[in-house]
Amino acid sequence: MTYIGAEVIISPLGRTTAENWAAMHANRSGISLVKQAGFDDTDLYLSKMLDLVSEFKFEKLISDALAAVAENIDPAILTSDKTIVLVSSTKGELDKNITDQFGKSIDALVTAFGLANRPVVLPNACISGVLAINAASNLINAKIYDHAIVIGCDLISDFVVYGFQSLFAISDKPCAPFDALRNGITMGEGCGAVVVSETKGIFKNGAFRLLSGTSANDANHISGPSRTGEGLFRSVKKTLETNHVAPDEIDFICAHGTATVFNDEMESIAFDRIGLNDVPLSSLKGYFGHTLGAAGVIETAASMQMMQHGILLKSLGYQESGTSKKLNVVADNMTSHPKTILKTASGFGGGNASLIIRSL
Amino acid sequence: MSLITTYCHLSSDHCSVNGEIVVTREKDAADSWFKQIYKEQEIVYPKFYKMDALSQAGFLASELIKRANQGLTDKYKDDEIAMLFANQSSSADTDLRFVHSYELNGAPSPSLFVYTLPNIVLGEIAIRNKWFGENMFAVLPKFAPGFFVDYGQILLTTGAKAVLIGWLGILGDNVEVFVALVESESEGGMDFNSENLLKLADLSHA
Repeated sequence: MTYIGAEVIISPLGRTTAENWAAMHANRSGISLVKQAGFDDTDLYLSKMLDLVSEFKFEKLISDALAAVAENIDPAILTSDKTIVLVSSTKGELDKNITDQFGKSIDALVTAFGLANRPVVLPNACISGVLAINAASNLINAKIYDHAIVIGCDLISDFVVYGFQSLFAISDKPCAPFDALRNGITMGEGCGAVVVSETKGIFKNGAFRLLSGTSANDANHISGPSRTGEGLFRSVKKTLETNHVAPDEIDFICAHGTATVFNDEMESIAFDRIGLNDVPLSSLKGYFGHTLGAAGVIETAASMQMMQHGILLKSLGYQESGTSKKLNVVADNMTSHPKTILKTASGFGGGNASLIIRSL
Repeated sequence: MSLITTYCHLSSDHCSVNGEIVVTREKDAADSWFKQIYKEQEIVYPKFYKMDALSQAGFLASELIKRANQGLTDKYKDDEIAMLFANQSSSADTDLRFVHSYELNGAPSPSLFVYTLPNIVLGEIAIRNKWFGENMFAVLPKFAPGFFVDYGQILLTTGAKAVLIGWLGILGDNVEVFVALVESESEGGMDFNSENLLKLADLSHA
């Protein structure tokens, strides 16, 4: 059995978790129009940390996140040889060293915090974050470690912006997940962190149960969502079954919801196949943009904040149903005390992952 | 007891299965080294030609392992074969090509961009075989047998009955690939432990 807590969010909405929560609660978005940010100097909507100034931004963000985590747990955990740090990211410090995108930042983290074990980097596209939290839980359940700190971080770079532009995947307005007029993603950057532990007592500000989830490949296409939602369906079904949770016990879904036409449609089909149509559901991409490898961690952290505050956040950008299968998209902030929530992610390479968090 | 039942190596000039060389590179051939293996082994899967080097390497190794282990795909359900891959440089080999496309060739190439994630190879193998199991890719400073044994065992105790593990060292002309099949219910093979894995992998950097 594992516990999850000490969540941290650093994003364009704020440098602390409290600042992020205040902004989310007010339904503020981190997305703004950034001049000449795209290929051929096109203006683009991005959720960019415009005030982030540092030569090594990735290193700075993951260090800041770990320092913030350290304030919320028993300080001895950080340097314990029974603790592992998992880093969820797709491109790390790509702009500084393309052939070794993580090495320098990881070395810096080990030195600055006196980590006993070298962090492991898990670049698994957009499911990295959820997969890393599940890996953390698995490593603890297998008694290989007692605690795992999961840090998710990705930066906006010309590389990823030009890439998604070349796929015609970027929205010409702030992204609108699950909405009828959605037409693509908005890129985002930021950093999130959570701690997974076998011990509830290490958390200074409370914790939740983490029910380890599963992943499943779509076996369909490397860059397009499955038409039947097969991989997501299988992942959620397995996660529910292995934890003996029935679909009607899920009180909230923090969906992936990238706001591309095909992804959100795929998610609606998968949730429909499991019978989760009526469960309140939000995508947080309207607040943070799509933060790629960081998304699963930032959005899990935000979901934990919703559970702490007893408020389900509206799915920002959503106005009118735009999927073939009915979903209960949260249209306005709701007071609610969800006991059990489901977090999902889907991404390039056909990956799908899910996990469940339950209040104690 | 989990056993390593089949394994495959690709280096910059040899391809071997279970330690036996099956293809040797022809230095003057018009085809790339991985295309030479594809043709010489008479593999037929046209999607191979659009893959990047990292995906081609993982794909070839998985095909050769299946050939040496007849009946593998029928033995397991479609979600019982997991994949656990790692390397040191992520997708840097293709990342460099993608940067080249927009810095020097006029426009970002979408066909290169979709390969700028190291886990794409997992997707390619899953698509080829219709495998819906668990997948994970890790970036490690060097081949770490303990990582594969620890996480491989976790996969084998959480639903998988076999795990394809792999180190895919691909960067420029440097090819250092080791892929192995670990099965939880098998009759012959070597014990799945760090010592055996390090010895079998025999990677020059490790």
